[in-house]
Amino acid sequence: MKARFAITALVALLIFCAGYAALFIAPDEATMHAIQRIFYFHVASWNAMFCAFFVAFCASVAYLVTGKRKWDALGVSGVEVGVMCCTIGLITGPLWARPVWGIWWTWDAKLTSTFILWLLFIAYLLLRGLVEDPEKKASLSAVFAIFASLDIPLVYLANRLWRTQHPQPVIAGGEGSGLDPTMSKVLLLCLFAVLCVMILVLVDRYRLELLRNEAAELRYEIESRGLDASNGQETPALQKGAQ
Amino acid sequence: MKNFEFLFTAWMVVWAVFFVYEISVARRIAQTREEIERLKQQLQQR
Amino acid sequence: MTTAKAAAIILAKELRLEFRTRELLTATVIFALVVVVLFSFAFDPTAAESRRYGPGLLWIAFLFAGSLMLNPSFAREQNNETLDALRMAPISGFAILLGKILANFIFMSLAELVLLPVFAVLYNLSLTGIVSRLILVLVLGTLGLTVTGTVFSAISAHARMRELLLPLLLLPLLTPLLIAAVESTTSLFAEQPALDRTWLAFLAGFDIVFLTASWLLCDHLLEE
Repeated sequence: MKARFAITALVALLIFCAGYAALFIAPDEATMHAIQRIFYFHVASWNAMFCAFFVAFCASVAYLVTGKRKWDALGVSGVEVGVMCCTIGLITGPLWARPVWGIWWTWDAKLTSTFILWLLFIAYLLLRGLVEDPEKKASLSAVFAIFASLDIPLVYLANRLWRTQHPQPVIAGGEGSGLDPTMSKVLLLCLFAVLCVMILVLVDRYRLELLRNEAAELRYEIESRGLDASNGQETPALQKGAQ
Repeated sequence: MKNFEFLFTAWMVVWAVFFVYEISVARRIAQTREEIERLKQQLQQR
Repeated sequence: MTTAKAAAIILAKELRLEFRTRELLTATVIFALVVVVLFSFAFDPTAAESRRYGPGLLWIAFLFAGSLMLNPSFAREQNNETLDALRMAPISGFAILLGKILANFIFMSLAELVLLPVFAVLYNLSLTGIVSRLILVLVLGTLGLTVTGTVFSAISAHARMRELLLPLLLLPLLTPLLIAAVESTTSLFAEQPALDRTWLAFLAGFDIVFLTASWLLCDHLLEE
């Protein structure tokens, strides 16, 4: 418990430093000025998203290889947190685009690809919701997660090839080559900070899933012994049989 | 700062999403822990 | 029994089953036609626009029709629990999957072969001189569609709302294939027909990746 509290406090401090750096230490960008500072968290949340989905991919493979439920728990946690980071990226993107370009959305390669990813992994969550048997749920969603993860590079590649044929305004006006050294350092700090937050949330979601599995096993145990799970009374049929 | 509202909203969105999610997960963890305790007691009664 | 032979037997079974009634094929073709006609009401295509947007509409019609057509692949097995019988046979899981993939590929190709000339007529596009290259694009695209679609049919067969779930799982995954197929087809229908090797390589790569993944993961798809 103490360790957990210490880690949370540390991460909170990290976020504070990163935020301060993004808002005040980083130099003002030449054309976009203050609004460009969204970039630090926009890029950081997409980086966190890819990490979360990678965790989900590895966990899915591990589940199919070992059959241990804890990997399935890690898989669903990775996807859920990844979708959340993706949502953040998809919201901060338009919030950046609107004042800079005057439009909320543009079908440029990166945004389109990320939107597709969002849909793809939401489909994973829907799939899990619609399959009832827990073992089937785990193995089928692991297979789907692997297919979806394999699709990620294909989605980005296809959109990039396509968009270079039909040029569009590019949102990411400040990243990549030619980044001012202070900006790079602030970016790294923000990447690290958001990644830590993502890992923290991921671990918590993982714990929740493990607890849920434990509760389900207990419920199953109770039902199979003939106890009424809601008030602990033996069912009448069993009492008669014992007599 | 120009366009401050957008920057502020974006900042709020980032942390609000994480924060709300974390709170909901923490709450569900507490609920599930209680349920596990209850179920364990039922098993012990048997 | 080798995988190839077993797959061939499964393929034969699927074909025999479908050609008894041909209801799936008919419904698929009609549905794709409906989509094509609906698009003509949504956009009013002049000749130049037909060349640019036509291929996109064609492939969207194929994808929609395909995701409806692929559902019964495994759903039918569920109704009579025949999948258990198949699994008990001394054949590999991949043989079952491959047989079904090939069957779906044939059904989808038949539907496309019917739809293509109709589409060309409705949108005043000429097919002369590009047929063989067009068929290559169709084959590669349809292969990707049926490989992933058959796998997802196996997945969604275990879920509720499977008719809605299958397109939801399939269509986002297929967007790279859609882009590649549409771009290839558009360049073929252009004033000077050309076939971009990049997109062809991409389609082939897509097919190989997911065929390999299906082979590696097939046992987890079919287990009870």
